[in-house]
Amino acid sequence: MTSASDSDDRPGSGVTMAAFAVIVFLQIPVIVVVLAAFSTTSYLTIPPQGLTLAWFGKVLSDPSYLSAIRMSLILACGSTVISLLLGVAAAYALFRKALPGSEAITSVLMAPLVLPAVVIGVALLQYYSLTGLRGSLFGLLMAHVVITVPYIVRSALASLSGLDLAVEEAARVLGANGFEAFRLVTLPLILPGLVAGALFAFITSLDNVPVTIFLISANQTTLPVLIFSSVEMGIDPSVAAVSTLLIAATGIILLIAERRFGFHRFV
Amino acid sequence: MSALSFERLGKSYGEAEVVREVSLTIAEGEFVSLLGPSGCGKTTILRMVAGLVAPSRGRILIGSDDVTSLPPNKRGLGLVFQSYALFPHLTVFENVAFGLRRRKVSGAELDLRVKEALARVRLDAYGERFPRQLSGGQQQRVAIARAIAPQPRVLLFDEPLSNLDAQLRDEMQIELKRLQRGLGITTLFVTHDQGEALSMSDRVCVMAKGVMQQFATPEDIYHRPATGFVASFIGRPNRLSGVVATRDGQGGSLRLGSGLTLQAAHIDAAAGAKVDVVIRQEAIRLRRGQPEPDAIAGTVALRSFSGARVQYVVKLTDGVELIAETPSSGPDSALDPGTPVSLVIDAGSIFAMASEGAAA
Amino acid sequence: MIAPRHGLMLLAPLALVLAGFFLLPVLMMLPTSFREYAPGTGIAPGVWTLENYTRIVTDDYYREVIWRTLGLGLFVTLACLLLGYPLAFLIARGPERWRVPLILLVIFPMMLNLVVRSFGWIALLSNRGLVNNLLIQLGLIATPLKLMFNLTGLMIGLTHIYLPFMVLMLVAAIRNVPRDVEAAAATLGSSRLHVFAAVTLPLSAPGILAGSILVFVLTISALVTPRMLGGPTYKVMATLIYDEYMQLLDWPSGSALSFALTAMAIGVIWLSSRLTKRWAGMA
Repeated sequence: MTSASDSDDRPGSGVTMAAFAVIVFLQIPVIVVVLAAFSTTSYLTIPPQGLTLAWFGKVLSDPSYLSAIRMSLILACGSTVISLLLGVAAAYALFRKALPGSEAITSVLMAPLVLPAVVIGVALLQYYSLTGLRGSLFGLLMAHVVITVPYIVRSALASLSGLDLAVEEAARVLGANGFEAFRLVTLPLILPGLVAGALFAFITSLDNVPVTIFLISANQTTLPVLIFSSVEMGIDPSVAAVSTLLIAATGIILLIAERRFGFHRFV
Repeated sequence: MSALSFERLGKSYGEAEVVREVSLTIAEGEFVSLLGPSGCGKTTILRMVAGLVAPSRGRILIGSDDVTSLPPNKRGLGLVFQSYALFPHLTVFENVAFGLRRRKVSGAELDLRVKEALARVRLDAYGERFPRQLSGGQQQRVAIARAIAPQPRVLLFDEPLSNLDAQLRDEMQIELKRLQRGLGITTLFVTHDQGEALSMSDRVCVMAKGVMQQFATPEDIYHRPATGFVASFIGRPNRLSGVVATRDGQGGSLRLGSGLTLQAAHIDAAAGAKVDVVIRQEAIRLRRGQPEPDAIAGTVALRSFSGARVQYVVKLTDGVELIAETPSSGPDSALDPGTPVSLVIDAGSIFAMASEGAAA
Repeated sequence: MIAPRHGLMLLAPLALVLAGFFLLPVLMMLPTSFREYAPGTGIAPGVWTLENYTRIVTDDYYREVIWRTLGLGLFVTLACLLLGYPLAFLIARGPERWRVPLILLVIFPMMLNLVVRSFGWIALLSNRGLVNNLLIQLGLIATPLKLMFNLTGLMIGLTHIYLPFMVLMLVAAIRNVPRDVEAAAATLGSSRLHVFAAVTLPLSAPGILAGSILVFVLTISALVTPRMLGGPTYKVMATLIYDEYMQLLDWPSGSALSFALTAMAIGVIWLSSRLTKRWAGMA
């Protein structure tokens, strides 16, 4: 493959323009939401009629938003940590082929990704109604573990498969016990992949409506569910403001993850 | 005093028996190679010694301690892997310090012993580098330093030189042997390369299909192979087929192809049996011109010069082709194709064993 | 070397959580789907029936919703393919320095909250939304176009939501096409277009299929975007299930619909894996 043939094969200008149009299409709703958050009018105009920070003030002093944000963060952090513990342990056992039927087990662990989220939601609704877990934090946390753990298992398996088994054996022969070998050698080596997986899990939890909406109690909701139900009531620019906060947070997290770990390699 | 010994050591995976009842004893400070083709069970033995594979049968003793059921971290061994298996996230210093830290060595003593190990492999200046910043040969030496730093009771090598290019491999053979002599450390070295095994070892254990064929000094392995397998595996053999004509003690006479008769000192089959005949290339001497009484007549078909050695393809009168090898500085080093020659083959360098499948 | 006993200890916690909070709940929904709905109380005691399932195929309204869901899945998949391929091609084959920024611009909307993205489309597509405002200001239309609560709105929104998945799948597929095979076709006299049609496209087919299956399954399972852009009246299967449970409290019917939706999703995945195996056999 020479550089000359490379430049010959470059996508033509037609393809390039189409591609950039699609990139713009992908960003449009984001831009619109951000513009709406700073707009003085309650509906959107281009150019905006006036600029204001009032909607942000309204959101940040609204106890229902604040408590929803708090709830979302508790759920996302809690389920990510639990999923990491459960998922990495399971992936490690599968990787070391400790049990027969590793492939079958793996596909069972991935099953929550295949089932429509709304089905998991209603199944847990009925189950929790019978067991009295509906509206409980524990029930919600477990539901979020179920929907986030496949991402952890997948990224842990992918990272482990790139590992030279001899490296861990070397640690064992040098005097490390099984746990030390994992902690001192294997874990640091799969960490970038795990961070990417954890980020996916965190965002999946933070994003979730179709499971959460069936399980929350009347007085304790999460941020996406709150936005979802506010939109059903009618649009208010404070929704745009809280959305803009989420957009900024997502963008910052993505950029940090890219800088630190080259996040795009793990997607 | 034995440093490492196996008693009827065996390993099976389901029906497949990869190592069959191997017993041997390695003396303190001895350098022993496990030599054999891939799949002969040599790596499995090494991994059983290291504790990375559990034996199905038998015992492993280090010194007088039975370590058969100890986990790898309790065996006090050093192991150099084929892939080196350096810790990519740790510096060279921390790689070498790993085993010492597990033994609770710290502070000035840790520093001293890591530097000492690195000096042994001439990498004193590379402590702060990461493995990926080193060449293959340097990585190899880090792996060795890491293995020797904790002063293991036995040092194990798993095909450590197979990833190096030819020139570096020759250098490392000498360096490794010198290092091992200097430390006086008992060493078990797994390889499929006979040159490595013969040149470095005090004794060589030749393995085939999970069975130990011969455990002896390199000289004995080469000159007095115990089995047909060893004879055909060691050296550069010509392989011919023939029939045992007569038996006489260990040896007898063989008939090749169309009536050519050879005396052989080692025959592993009864009279009349079809045999595979092994004649080492380096055991055939060529003489220009008239055939001598005990010699075989032939013609040089091809000459191939490779530096220190010259190889000839010689066509015998009955059409059989043999390869003969001589030093390129010797008297027979300049025979042109077409030259009539006589071949003198020492009977002690001809081995015959029952052909294909009939052998044990 | 790790003993089965240790493997079991490592695997057991996750296995128990998934058994208790995923498998068991889904299985417990199965009997519910054969019960009879009693208005007000939910489940009529002691009655078993197949009606919840037969109604799905016989009832005109349910059938309309199912066809709409499948049609939506198909249209969104095609739209994602058409829009995604050029972008994926540019990322895979374009200048090296564009690659990471472009990928990040694809990942960013994907990582962004679904509700936020759907809300963005409401701000664009509603009667007083940006698109209608702009068109009225420009004098192109007098009354607002109906862009929401119909197929158009759902298609635009869902295509936007699932396009990144398709692009990422296609990028991987196109990068897997060996360049020397294309070069070989070119030296044998193929034009650039013919190289693309005869080599690049067929060799990226497994990725195209995988991306299509993913987008199709995600689309027919989607709840949030159809609800936000379709409103309470323009329903797809997921929003129908939502209403059966939350508005009507008709759990028997909702659970039967849930199993129907699951069967559709798994069926499509199963079909595609058979197709992929066939292709692999041909290669």
